[in-house]
Amino acid sequence: MKIQLDFISSERLSGMKPMEKIDLILNKIKKDIIVVLEEGLTPEEEKELIEATMREIDIENFHGIEFYRIDHKASFRDKLAFYLTGKKQTGLTIVGPAKMIEAIKREPEGVITMIAKLMPGL
Amino acid sequence: MILSLYKKILQILRRKKNIQLGFYGPVNAGKTTLANRISLDWLGKEIGKVSEIPHETRHIQKIENVVIKTNNGELRMNLIDMPGIATEIDYKKFQAYGLSEEEAKRRAKEATKGVIEAIKWLDSVDAVLVVMDSTQDPFTQVNITIIGNLEARKVPMVIVANKIDLPEANPSRIENAFPQHVVVPVSALTGENIEKLYEAIQKHLT
Repeated sequence: MKIQLDFISSERLSGMKPMEKIDLILNKIKKDIIVVLEEGLTPEEEKELIEATMREIDIENFHGIEFYRIDHKASFRDKLAFYLTGKKQTGLTIVGPAKMIEAIKREPEGVITMIAKLMPGL
Repeated sequence: MILSLYKKILQILRRKKNIQLGFYGPVNAGKTTLANRISLDWLGKEIGKVSEIPHETRHIQKIENVVIKTNNGELRMNLIDMPGIATEIDYKKFQAYGLSEEEAKRRAKEATKGVIEAIKWLDSVDAVLVVMDSTQDPFTQVNITIIGNLEARKVPMVIVANKIDLPEANPSRIENAFPQHVVVPVSALTGENIEKLYEAIQKHLT
């Protein structure tokens, strides 16, 4: 079995409404694609993502998601770049199908670990 | 006569409405055990059933007019025990606890609705106890999402580092993970440190 990771740029996300982002994420997740967003979702968007996931759960085929937001702590240089260019560094969000991802978690020293499930044929 | 009527009206006007205190947290953190402990201590009755099978609480359970009294005064509350927040619900996991396939599927369906209901209530609670299992890693997205939403709405909260009766409990991990919030280590099961929690509720959730 192959694993597909889709990176979605902050440029693409910047013009999207929260529900459009969530639809995009869930459509990919349901096709067994792991999604990496080049921005951190807001707490409100995360809440909407969990709620939308619960609505999409299908007992036999779709059991949910694993996700993790990695915050970007802005340095002086980032703040200066934001002031000059208007482009804000806001972290990353990783979202994967629960049937493929056991957990995504923060380890000591800032390492984010994604633990995949053992799947037949992998 | 007029004076007593005036005093009565003033009393009614000054009476604060009951605080809607929500119990939020991941599945199996001990939210219902804690709600039962508080309800038993102050009302003499329990709020809901507890089980080791995940998603035992699949509907919101409410108990009204709980009055907590501490040295700093009294606080009137409605306790609202929420279903645990999860991002995944797989009925096969319930079968590992001995449920039949049919029971497990029914529980899974009810659990998804319970999570939605709990999320909806985030906009209606006045204060929250965020209950975490102190034997588990607190850096989970569910914890981060709950706390992030409460912070965004400026809802007062106390984090309860539950299950300190277990030998592997490490409440300091929770304190280190969320240093900006008040964390109270307790055992909802044995009642250890529960007085400290009542003081924290009185001090930080009013």
